[in-house]
Amino acid sequence: MNKKLYVPHPGHFDGLQQMLDSSKDIYSIYMAGSPDYIGTGRVNLGHAGLEEVARHTEYCHSKNVKIEMVLNSSCMGGQQLTTEGYNLIHWYISNLEDIGVDTVVVADPYLIEMIASEFNIPVVVSVLAFVDSPQKAEFFEQLGASSIVIDSNVNRHFDVLEAIRDAVDCELKLLVNEGCLYRCPFRYAHFNFFSHVNGPPPRPNVQDDYYYHKCLTLRINDPSLILKSPFIRPEDLKEYAHITDVFKIGGRSHFINWILNCVNAYAAESYDGNLMDLMDCPKDLVDLFNIPNKALDGAIEQWKKHSTVCHTCGYCERKISEIAQMYDHMGTTDEKLVQWNTITKKGIET
Amino acid sequence: MNPEQLLRIRADLEDGIRRLIGRAVMVIELDLFALPCSCSGYTANLRGFQVDDIEVFEEHILKLLESTAEAVGSPSNFVFARIIPGTQEIASVNVRNLCPRCYSDFASTSGKRPRPDIYILRLNKRKK
Repeated sequence: MNKKLYVPHPGHFDGLQQMLDSSKDIYSIYMAGSPDYIGTGRVNLGHAGLEEVARHTEYCHSKNVKIEMVLNSSCMGGQQLTTEGYNLIHWYISNLEDIGVDTVVVADPYLIEMIASEFNIPVVVSVLAFVDSPQKAEFFEQLGASSIVIDSNVNRHFDVLEAIRDAVDCELKLLVNEGCLYRCPFRYAHFNFFSHVNGPPPRPNVQDDYYYHKCLTLRINDPSLILKSPFIRPEDLKEYAHITDVFKIGGRSHFINWILNCVNAYAAESYDGNLMDLMDCPKDLVDLFNIPNKALDGAIEQWKKHSTVCHTCGYCERKISEIAQMYDHMGTTDEKLVQWNTITKKGIET
Repeated sequence: MNPEQLLRIRADLEDGIRRLIGRAVMVIELDLFALPCSCSGYTANLRGFQVDDIEVFEEHILKLLESTAEAVGSPSNFVFARIIPGTQEIASVNVRNLCPRCYSDFASTSGKRPRPDIYILRLNKRKK
C-alpha cells in the first residue's frame, strides 16, 4: 500500500541525519519547538530554538522530507487568549512560516482558527483535540484545518472512521502506535499535566507521574488492556486504505533505533517480534511482556466487530491468556519467558 | 559487587515479590546510593505494587528487603516504602542506613506514616 509515514524527530541534528540516511520510507518528520512559546502535549528529547528548527527544516527539505511542528498543548492556562499571549504566539508562528516548515499541529480550536486565518502554513488538528466524530471533524474543517489526526480511541471503530471520511474533505491521519488505554480515564488530566511540564513557565516540579504509574499498574495487573488499546498493527494498515493513506508513528522520547524499527515495520506492513517493541507508551512494559505480534494476525476481524463493549466480548482476555509471556529473571543468565498467567497465588513462601 | 551480581539481586527481589503477592510486578530499577549527608542504602523502584500489598504482606516483604540489603552489603536499620501521596501506588521500596542528622529527623516521628509519601516498615531506634 502506498502511504505517507509521519515520524518523530529523535531530538538532535545528528540523530536526524542518521534517520534520514537510514530510511527512505519517511514522508515527514515531526518535532516540537521550544517549550517557552506554545509547548506540546508530550515529552520530547530535544527543545529546538528557532535557529535549530531552521537548520532541521533545511536539512529535511534537502532530503525531500517534509517537516511538521507539533505545538499541541492541551492546556495553555488561558495565556493564548491574552494580548501578550496572542502577540507571542503570532511572533512564533510568523518565524516558523518564514523558516518554511510544512505544517503546524495544534490542539486548541482558537489556535487552529488563528493560524488558518493569519498564516499560510497548513494547520493540522492534533490527536489531543480528540476528534472522534464526524460532527467534530466538520467543526475543525470549518475552522480551517487542512488535516485532522483522529482521536486514536476510535481507531477500531470503522463506522465512525468511515463517517468522518464521508463528512470532511481534508486529510485524515491515524496515530498507529500510541498504545494508550482504550478510553483512558487519565487522558485529559495527563496531557494537561504534560502540556504544563513541556510548556512555558511556571513548570510543575513533580517527583512522580501519578497517571503513568497508574497506567502501568493497571496493565501489569491486567495485560488484556494492552490488546484493548487502539493501536494499529503494521499488518492491518491496509484495512484503513479507504479511510486514509497517512499514518503517524508516535515516539518522540525514543532512541533512533527504536524509531527506525517502527518505520521499517510500518513501511513493510509486517513485524515479526514483540508487539511491545512498537508501542510508544508505556515503553517500560517491553521489559515485562512478550506479546508475539504475529499471534495477532486476524484479530482485526474481531476488533472490527466488537470494538466497544469489552465486558460482553471477552476476546482480548482470552487472546492474552493464550499468547502473552512474561520475562522471569530478566537480565541474568537464568532469563526465561513464562506464560504470564502462571503467576498465581500459591501461598506465601517464607 | 559486580554488575552481574547486581542484576541477579534485582531479578531475585522481583521474583520474590511476585511469588509473595501472586501477581506480576516490576522492579524497574535497583539503585545503590550514597548521599552527601552520609546516608547510604538501596532503592528499588517498583511498578504494579500497591499499599494493600505491603499492609497484607508486611512481615514477608520486610524479610525480602532485608535479605536484599544483605546481598548488596548494606545495613538495613531503616526500611520504608515511598508512596505517591493520596494513592495506593508505591513508587519505591528503600533500605537506608541513616546518618545521625537524618536519623534524628525520622526518629522524632511516630507511626508508620510520618509523611504522606512514606510508609515505614522498620526503623531501628538507637539507645539513648
